[in-house]
Amino acid sequence: MTDNPEDLRQWRLPRGRHGLPRELVERSQRERLLAAVVRATVANGYESTTVADILGEAGVGRESFYELFDDKLDCMLAAHKILADDLEARVRPTYLEEGPWPERVRRSLGATLEWFAADPEAARFFLVELSTVGPAFRATFKAEYARFTKLLDDGLGEDGPNPELTRATDLSVGAIMARIYEEVVLGRATELPRLLPELTYGFLVPFVGEEVARGERERAAAG
Amino acid sequence: MVESCAEKTYAATTITDIVAGARISRTTFYKHFEDKRACFDAAIGYCIGELQAVAATAHSPADQPGDAARKAATAVVEALAAKPGLAQVLTGDAMAVDPQVIERYRRATIPALEALWSENAGKPAAHTDPRLAFGQAQVLILNQIATGRLDRLLELLPEVVYLTVSPYGGHEEALRQARLAGKSESRGAVPR
Repeated sequence: MTDNPEDLRQWRLPRGRHGLPRELVERSQRERLLAAVVRATVANGYESTTVADILGEAGVGRESFYELFDDKLDCMLAAHKILADDLEARVRPTYLEEGPWPERVRRSLGATLEWFAADPEAARFFLVELSTVGPAFRATFKAEYARFTKLLDDGLGEDGPNPELTRATDLSVGAIMARIYEEVVLGRATELPRLLPELTYGFLVPFVGEEVARGERERAAAG
Repeated sequence: MVESCAEKTYAATTITDIVAGARISRTTFYKHFEDKRACFDAAIGYCIGELQAVAATAHSPADQPGDAARKAATAVVEALAAKPGLAQVLTGDAMAVDPQVIERYRRATIPALEALWSENAGKPAAHTDPRLAFGQAQVLILNQIATGRLDRLLELLPEVVYLTVSPYGGHEEALRQARLAGKSESRGAVPR
């Protein structure tokens, strides 16, 4: 069973359809539940969301839910992972294209901001609601953080910079996370693409210094 | 409050935990605080105040701005390393309770930092965004917590110093200060 993130974002199957092959029914139920957990937790907060809320939102029965997930947290983390997979799938090819490293950074930052801006609900779920799940937050944060620092390292390439700071990668990933998080909390996800010039600059400085970063900021501002 | 949040997160902390930890009665608790959230907010406010005091006393007026910022950042990281529970609550739990808590740190810190580089009451030009640097430092510490390396917080010293110096001191000066911080750290402040 594969999860299609587009379905997660847009799934609106008419309820109570019958006569579909079992696998298809299950798949659609899973996707509806994953989409529902995103909407329900963003609307009510993780703590106040019940499995019943998710079922109501998805139009799926309780039994089917527990066939697919252990509990509310399991469902939430599954939705989180799909979104992270989708974001990586969107950014990785752009970042690993041919071209000078600062330029590839600028393009993939643009793709990242577009991704968050395209679906403010998913953005809020992805970044903000996750921190409220308790101890499981740390494990998920660790895994996702490692995933995106690895992506950054994978694309440094031979022409990439050789920064003096041991944790330059962490500073750059931290810059994106912190800045996007802040805009999403304030409900300004749709305006994220406007941040491209300043974020490109903030991202690049620890690696390449202010002068090169300024040049790339200008290119970002020029569009 | 801080101890209990560090141990089992804010969500799982009860008033019973807090009064047991503080060895006070429930009645006394409610004399001081309306509820758990009010107590948490007060605890965060108190901790930020303590860290500000640590930073302020770590340097002297004779220091160059970059040196002063390095000393202040070092003192804060050392204070957090001595109380890992505090670092955990300030970067992790506080965000879950109030995502805008970071704004409170910033209001407490950025003006002090800016003042180090201000001469003749003029505002210094920013090389990089100090607000962004703050978020970067927070993510850095958050990752240290998530990966179970909270006991090795001092490892982050060069990066934290870099982030503290770079907004007003610039990239090159920040690298220089980070090197100085790295040297003092490897002199054996903490075993690797």
